[in-house]
Amino acid sequence: MAVRLSANYSKKLGLPQYSSHSFSASVEVELTDLNQVESECQKLYQLLQQSVDQEIQQVGFVPDPKQYGQKGSSSGLRNGFHRNGNNQNGRQFRVHNGSQDRWACTDGQRGFILRITNENNLDKQEIEALAHRLYGLGVKHLNKMQASQLIEELLTLAGKPRQSRWHQQPQQQAA
Amino acid sequence: MTNLAVSPPQKVERSENEILTGLQQTVSASRLTLFLQCRLKFYYRYVLKLPKPKPASLHVGNVVHATLKAWHKARWIGTPLTLKGLHDEFSKAWDDQNKEEPVDWQGEEEDERLTAWRLCELYYRQSGFEHAEKPDAVEVPVETDLSSHGLPRLIGVLDLVQQRKIIDYKTSSTTPNSEKVAHTHEVQTSIYAILFREAASIREEGIELHHLVKLKNPKLCITQLPPMTDSQQNRLFHLLEAYLEGIDRKDFVPSPGMGCASCEFFNECRHWN
Ligand code: SF4
Repeated sequence: MAVRLSANYSKKLGLPQYSSHSFSASVEVELTDLNQVESECQKLYQLLQQSVDQEIQQVGFVPDPKQYGQKGSSSGLRNGFHRNGNNQNGRQFRVHNGSQDRWACTDGQRGFILRITNENNLDKQEIEALAHRLYGLGVKHLNKMQASQLIEELLTLAGKPRQSRWHQQPQQQAA
Repeated sequence: MTNLAVSPPQKVERSENEILTGLQQTVSASRLTLFLQCRLKFYYRYVLKLPKPKPASLHVGNVVHATLKAWHKARWIGTPLTLKGLHDEFSKAWDDQNKEEPVDWQGEEEDERLTAWRLCELYYRQSGFEHAEKPDAVEVPVETDLSSHGLPRLIGVLDLVQQRKIIDYKTSSTTPNSEKVAHTHEVQTSIYAILFREAASIREEGIELHHLVKLKNPKLCITQLPPMTDSQQNRLFHLLEAYLEGIDRKDFVPSPGMGCASCEFFNECRHWN
């Protein structure tokens, strides 16, 4: 009896401006015997990972944030954060409605992250790198707890850390 | 947390009713615990906001928390602190706290400082955290809206989340009784479990209370608790209901008892009628 083994490897990487790109490759092989499964898996995993890693380094088209989304109706900017037309040295975010811009955290957290970033001229690539460093995820993929942690870090970066929070139980200090 | 502005908000004087409404809308573990402990004390602290000098124990607790926070953050980003680095963080936290709100030390500052440092050092040596083990969160503010249960918004700050375990550290002057700790801290641990589940969309692996005990030979007592059960959640919801109803009725009667020995409002309370 022929045994079919199919393997798939995919990788998603964050890009500047909170966008990302991903690539996946799959392969199907026929084995003559079940004993080959383990070694074949190992081989295929290595092969697929190498191939995907090699290709994913080509980031391809990345839109210029200053141009992208400028044309067309203004409704595309409904969720965007503007600060009186001041483009913040080209660091202004443009967030569009659409599934590629869906964030895992709450809308409020998303707005807060964008606002701290814009108001304090923080570097978005550094913030993306920070999210990766803390959680191995892009900013958009952080859950609510992770986004809250990122907000704490951004406030510290902006020189506005929140006050300590153990002011309420003098007998036994609790957070 | 989503509702804090980047610029400091303008201080606006609020009426008592507005304050009470705010207290019904948002609840933290310490608020609810204090309300259940003594409603009059809650009223003095959160409604009247009677100013009281900062006690030395609060300063020590704040500094220990800040130092441990710096240590866990450093572990997290892969630049673990040496003992010397930890001491630098400790000294900075001590000075910052002194600047933020000075304490009348009455000549005891050096002793208190030494006590606080020994707690940090003990935790550094004995808590058993591997430098390479990344935390899931360090002192992270979280909140959840329980309005679908007819209950308020819960808020809290998780000291440390490590491999889905919620860890809360406390400084205390007596050794906790491990049998009783689960009960006496149930309000807090249940609130943290709800907050964590909502914020991380997963169930906690367990909850740990790390008591740093200020003895001549300081001690670390770790109490491991299982994940919150459904019945613990029900109990918490009933307590929250009682809290809302009590505030509605403006029920702020005193609860004289053992806790009065350390109550900062003792004098005010003696004049209550
Ligand atoms: S002295 Fe006791 S009863 Fe009075 S407010 Fe304080 S804790 Fe409550």
